[in-house]
Amino acid sequence: MHVNCQTEVEVKHGVGLHARPSVTFTRLAKSFPCSIEVAVNGSDIWLNGKSIIKIMGARIRKGSILRIRADGILAEEAIRALKELIERNFDEEKKHGRTA
Amino acid sequence: MAEPLRLKAKSASPGIASGPAFLAEEPKAPSAAERPDAAPASRAVGGYSALEKAIDISIGELEHLADGADAESRDIIDFQIEVLRDPTIAEATGARMEADENVVFAWVATLDAYIGELEAADEEQMRARAVDILDIKNRVLGALAGTPIADFPPGSVFVGKDMEPSRFLAHDWSKGGGIALFAGSTAGHVALLARAKSVPMVVGTGRFSAADGDPVRVDGDAGTVVLKAGGMLIPSPAPARTAAADTQTASVELRTADGVPILLSININDPAEIDAIDPATAGVGLMRSEFSVASVADAANEERQLAIYRRVLDQAGEKPVTIRMLDIGGDKPLAGLEDLPALAASGLRGIRLLLAQPEIARVQARALLRAAVFGRLSVMLPMVTFPDEVDRMRELFREEAEKLGRRALPHRMPPIGMMVEVPSAALMLDTFGAAAFFSFGTNDLTQYLAASTRDDIDADAGKTAPAVLRLMTQAVKLAAGKPTSICGDMAGNPSYLPGLLAAGLRHFSVAPARRPEIRSAIIGLNADGTKAAGE
Repeated sequence: MHVNCQTEVEVKHGVGLHARPSVTFTRLAKSFPCSIEVAVNGSDIWLNGKSIIKIMGARIRKGSILRIRADGILAEEAIRALKELIERNFDEEKKHGRTA
Repeated sequence: MAEPLRLKAKSASPGIASGPAFLAEEPKAPSAAERPDAAPASRAVGGYSALEKAIDISIGELEHLADGADAESRDIIDFQIEVLRDPTIAEATGARMEADENVVFAWVATLDAYIGELEAADEEQMRARAVDILDIKNRVLGALAGTPIADFPPGSVFVGKDMEPSRFLAHDWSKGGGIALFAGSTAGHVALLARAKSVPMVVGTGRFSAADGDPVRVDGDAGTVVLKAGGMLIPSPAPARTAAADTQTASVELRTADGVPILLSININDPAEIDAIDPATAGVGLMRSEFSVASVADAANEERQLAIYRRVLDQAGEKPVTIRMLDIGGDKPLAGLEDLPALAASGLRGIRLLLAQPEIARVQARALLRAAVFGRLSVMLPMVTFPDEVDRMRELFREEAEKLGRRALPHRMPPIGMMVEVPSAALMLDTFGAAAFFSFGTNDLTQYLAASTRDDIDADAGKTAPAVLRLMTQAVKLAAGKPTSICGDMAGNPSYLPGLLAAGLRHFSVAPARRPEIRSAIIGLNADGTKAAGE
């Protein structure tokens, strides 16, 4: 089912999207067949959400607003899953019990 | 016994470790003979599929490393695997290949661009990731060339500019040991790993000199490193030396019968050949880099080249070393470059090929610029025909030096000279003002002067020798006092020595095995080539 959808979410993670949360994000993004793009803080530059280089280089910080859009098969599911991941703080506490 | 040297550093992981130093930038480069990838064309690197395969192999290696690793280690490996699977890297590499770049260089250029971006980042957290990308770049190059990342002896203290996480992970730390980095970061992945594994580590020591095996003490509590045998901080970048000092001075007492000083250097193909450098040798007059850099994957690998060149300079100590840039093309193919149609058709070789494929030259220029900090390095350009070729290569070196400067990597501009092996260059030698020194390559000079085929060259050599000698006599005059030597086969044949001395040559570079015989012959001759009285 081909759909196009978008959402907006605030990053609450303490140090923003450094290596580990970025890996969690892009891995999840890659598990969906649709295209996934991210724009930070109202920017109109859309970054490939499956690229660790782009996501890590986007200087996403605590308080950054991410717009996420997906286009293609399972787009709605992808958007929902990525938004939930960010709201769960990238499962960081569960994994390591710390936020660094 | 030298005083112990104590250097202030930053603690990256607590604890104290003592052990023999392992110098990271001097890995034991296997000799050309024992390298699995040495045979030309035996491991030709194909198109994108070869790169994809190397990336898959690298991911497999990293997954293997991740097995049973602790959480911190897995994070770093996961990050590296994720970079290898980054779709934008494949796109950028593909775009470079469409712009006619060789697949290996396209890969290197793509990752170097990311490394450059990370190194220039404002935040230390980002800058510290650069070494992770460098690590996977080299891992993939290693997979392309079939060479795994080298481990170091357990219990030793790792000394180097920075350390790749995969090296840390592949190493057995149960025997102790520590890490002392000239640069490095307390926020780097290796620092994280070291803290998790309780390996004492300090960073930011500044570049210091130490020999492999020197006892070193890393104090991660106090943030110091102590070199028990003494040592010295190397100021970086090192102060520039003059070209003349680099190529000419040597305190080697070899004189003709009538007392004229002569320099006798050796030609080598591989760092292993100067393991036992004779103190009477004036240095390395010619290192043919195409024998150590035997595949396109090596030609793309700045770090490996730097390690090879540095090893030669370390072995040579105070003595000058002249490294010739890759003399490939024509009848000297480089494994893996056959897939460049433009190259196969052109028949270009020497400096013309390097200028036509500047991505090869740029990697080598960077490795040479960085190596120059460690000794008396000169760089020689192969098969130069016209003066503008020297100008263009010097410009390329200047550009790369500037980029290294921006990345704060220690480097030094070496004197850049040229081979004189094309007859028109020999005849016009006074127009090569940009070359810092000259060295005659008599094999090619003979072939091109006599229009010999490669098969006939030996038969023709004797008959062509008088013409070659006459040409060199004239060229030495045109060189007008600029350092001039001869590194071709004629220099290793005692029967030509009288003619070469009469031509005014005072610096000979020969195969190590030829040196004793040539030395004896020089002692028995006068500087004008006549036999000494009494013989």
